[in-house]
Amino acid sequence: MALDISQNQQDAELLMRFSTGDRAAAMALTSRLAPIVFAQAFRMLGDRAEAEDVTQESLLRLWKTASDWDANRAKITTWLYRVTSNLCIDRLRKSNRNSGDEVPELADDTPGEDCKLQTTARAQALQHALQTLPGRQRQAMILRHIEDLSNPEISDIMEVSVEAVESLVSRGKRALAITLAPQKKALGLEND
Amino acid sequence: MTDKDFNYPPLDESEFGLLFDAAQKGAPEMDAEFLTRLQSQALEAMPQEPMVGFTLEKLSLFGRISDVFAQFGGWPAGAGLAMAGAFGVLIGISPPDVVLDATTAYFQTESLNDLVGLGAETEFYWEDV
Repeated sequence: MALDISQNQQDAELLMRFSTGDRAAAMALTSRLAPIVFAQAFRMLGDRAEAEDVTQESLLRLWKTASDWDANRAKITTWLYRVTSNLCIDRLRKSNRNSGDEVPELADDTPGEDCKLQTTARAQALQHALQTLPGRQRQAMILRHIEDLSNPEISDIMEVSVEAVESLVSRGKRALAITLAPQKKALGLEND
Repeated sequence: MTDKDFNYPPLDESEFGLLFDAAQKGAPEMDAEFLTRLQSQALEAMPQEPMVGFTLEKLSLFGRISDVFAQFGGWPAGAGLAMAGAFGVLIGISPPDVVLDATTAYFQTESLNDLVGLGAETEFYWEDV
């Protein structure tokens, strides 16, 4: 999700308090940032255990840099997105894994309203399709369309030009459009 | 978009919008236990500023003293100096005959008071020591 300026100021203030030994700040910052990191890692890797490892590593790196953090230099979330992305890409490269054989469970399939089931089915189908994309395209697609970040923010995170981000997103979207096309009816997209 | 070769028409923007919306709503959730673990790790990683500052200052001062001490030869030189000092004190308290002979011959007196310019009332001889 895109974060507004005040939220980033709050994060910076919490991190500053963390670096002076404020326990409440440590708890609050972890509660706020960990779900963001975990969600990104899970979407990238499609594996809960691996996403937890990456979340742990990303946050540990943040804590290590806390005392030297320059609030004017970078947004904490942007920095975290970058660290998390790099850790995920490293893991994908090491495991030589591009497409996820295992389809991650995004949410409980508890019986409920049709709408909820359909939302879950759509989210799972998208997650599965994302796992078929090359790592960098997947990363760009997740940051742009699910985390809702702007192209300049993504270019900062991925350390590529804005044009390169646009190209990655465009190619990723084209690939997803074709991959998901056969499931349109099952996902209730044709009736919407 | 080269979609004419495919059996199914690819997704359009509005259909993508529905999928992305669903993905945002169905964000993967973390275990509460995992969050607790992360919070514990954050507390462990949290710098203890006053303690760290104090320790570093102490270490820094100790380091500087060690550096100066090393410039003068370190512990071996310190031990040698202490031993030389101890011998000096011993010779001063109980000088051997050879020291007395040499002193008497050089200063032409056996009186320590003559040497330091004190009066006869405080006469003091080497032999009395």
